[in-house]
Amino acid sequence: MSVLEVSDLEVYYETESAPAQAVDGVSFSIEEGENLGIVGESGCGKTTLAKAIIGILPDEGYVNRGSIEFDGRDLTEMSEAERRRYKWEEISMIAQSAMNALDPVYTIHEQIVEAIETHRPGTGRTESNEIVAEMFDLVGLDPERADDYPHQFSGGMRQRAMIAMALALEPSLVLADEPTTALDVIMQDQILKRIGEIQSDINSSMMVITHDVSVVAETCDRVIVMYAGKIAEEGPVEEIFGNPYHPYTIGLKRAFPNIRQSDQDLLSIAGYPPELTDPPSGCRFAERCPIATDECRTVEPEAQQQGDLRTYCHYADEIDDGFRSRADDPETWEETEAARSTRSAAEVNN
Amino acid sequence: MSKASFVIRRLLQLGVTFWAVGTVLFFLFRLMPGDPTAFVVSAQMTPEARQQVIESYGLNQPLYIQYVRFLENALTLNFGRSFHTNEPVRDVIWTYLPNTLVLMLSAFVVAYILGIVLGVLSGWYRGSRFEKTTVVTALTARSLPTFYVGLIVLWLFGATLGVIPMSGMGTSGQTYDTFGARIFNLDFLHHLVAPAAVLAFYYMGYPLLIMRSSMMEVLSQDFIDVCRAKGLSERAIMFRHAARNALLPIITAAAIALGYAVGGSVLIETVFGWPGLGREMVNAVLRRDFPVAQGTFMVLAATIIILNFIADLLYGYLDPRVTYD
Repeated sequence: MSVLEVSDLEVYYETESAPAQAVDGVSFSIEEGENLGIVGESGCGKTTLAKAIIGILPDEGYVNRGSIEFDGRDLTEMSEAERRRYKWEEISMIAQSAMNALDPVYTIHEQIVEAIETHRPGTGRTESNEIVAEMFDLVGLDPERADDYPHQFSGGMRQRAMIAMALALEPSLVLADEPTTALDVIMQDQILKRIGEIQSDINSSMMVITHDVSVVAETCDRVIVMYAGKIAEEGPVEEIFGNPYHPYTIGLKRAFPNIRQSDQDLLSIAGYPPELTDPPSGCRFAERCPIATDECRTVEPEAQQQGDLRTYCHYADEIDDGFRSRADDPETWEETEAARSTRSAAEVNN
Repeated sequence: MSKASFVIRRLLQLGVTFWAVGTVLFFLFRLMPGDPTAFVVSAQMTPEARQQVIESYGLNQPLYIQYVRFLENALTLNFGRSFHTNEPVRDVIWTYLPNTLVLMLSAFVVAYILGIVLGVLSGWYRGSRFEKTTVVTALTARSLPTFYVGLIVLWLFGATLGVIPMSGMGTSGQTYDTFGARIFNLDFLHHLVAPAAVLAFYYMGYPLLIMRSSMMEVLSQDFIDVCRAKGLSERAIMFRHAARNALLPIITAAAIALGYAVGGSVLIETVFGWPGLGREMVNAVLRRDFPVAQGTFMVLAATIIILNFIADLLYGYLDPRVTYD
């Protein structure tokens, strides 16, 4: 059964001009014990989505429409006080940069105990200490060092401490926002393994937000590819990276070096995501898409089911009629609208 | 380096600073134009009597001897006698310094408590009408000279409405046995409230503005998001985490500002006829009363130096990241 059910969610930010539509009509669910990855480039709405789910949007951000149901109850309808009970106890987070995610003036121990005492007021000192020691043990830190301050820890240790804190209350859902970006590859691998082990112990679900495709491949069951505030494609990891339908996913996949085909040319997706205060009326990817047509520029694509994949592209059905080979060829990416305008801008500058 | 050796090293530095300040003061006053003995020596005196007076102050000695004697005496906190009243300088300081400290400290405590709380709130409620009002008020308060506000307060509440006394720190004719008895009574409070309020209004702006910008910086950091995600109450996030971190830059600022406040006490003391050290210092300079001027300057320098030292220690206590090396 679903732990989290997000339906038609719109999260906007107020700006001087029109509201920025950071998350626009996103629907998905996370099953119990499942790991869902969210990938996309910077500014595509991944972090905003996470903040909306956990309930820490900044003042200028608001849920414009849609619902976020946790355990069958809509979090967006709750009062602030009621919502607070769900935070950390049910939905916790592993913050984007562990370097700054811990308060520098309190010990790690104090910060974990604070979370325990906020949600379980009756917990005694001994019991809290036991939880901290146990969590430190689980994430591979020496429990003796719980009384250290964050600055006395290395980056990897801080990330482990952050994970210990995130999992201390055994939440049903953990949102991990770029959990390993600040770490070297070896540390990254160890940490991801450790998260996976603990998580299966306490049977929690996880939403991993990252721009690093390899992290998703390693930890997730299912992936959502986001582009400019919308879902581009969603499905099982093997399908998304093995046999994608959306040109954006195909482009992303070809933008990373492939160890099995190391001689393959890498492509780059020219241009930038559209302005979210004034998004294009059709497909948001049209300007940068190698197979875009006039229909793409005017009509917004509906979801199309392709086996296990849900794809938001007009041509998903016809992808095998030459579209896929075109989307897979770096040359055609040189001819997108965005690529042409980048080139002409460069010429003007010269 | 351990905390103890840090403290010892800083204390040694303190000694060197005092010596430097004393030396500069000593030579500075001797470079000043004008004859310091003009007040104690009169034209009617015989040359012998005149010589005797000068010798009694040691002013006939070569400068380096005077300097060495000055240093020797300073070690025992003996700054000589006033040229003007022949009173020991130490007694002059003992009479006036407590008056200044009482005024400054009460203004400071009020200003920093109010300033910090308002700063925390205006940083937290960024962009609100409350924030805009406090910032404008703080800037206005910082821009108005205290003597000017003081005069207006005196005119309005003293001369026109008659609710505050016009001058001094007690109704004349009353005597008290101890310093404590003198300051802990309603009459003293009645005299204190106007100058202290004027000063507090002026000082408040500084901690308020620092605290506000420091809060904004702290609030933009990731750990605040984590605190909110942890489900902590607004108040816990605002005070336990944000304000606690934002407070760090205030500590040094406060200590230094208090030092300067004691040094700059002359303006408010003059306007409100407050018998404090600042007023006494200026009078001493005008009278070319070297020993008193030297002594009072030393005391003011000492206040700044010692408060800085305290700020260093406090900082290490409040911020676990500060190491003693």
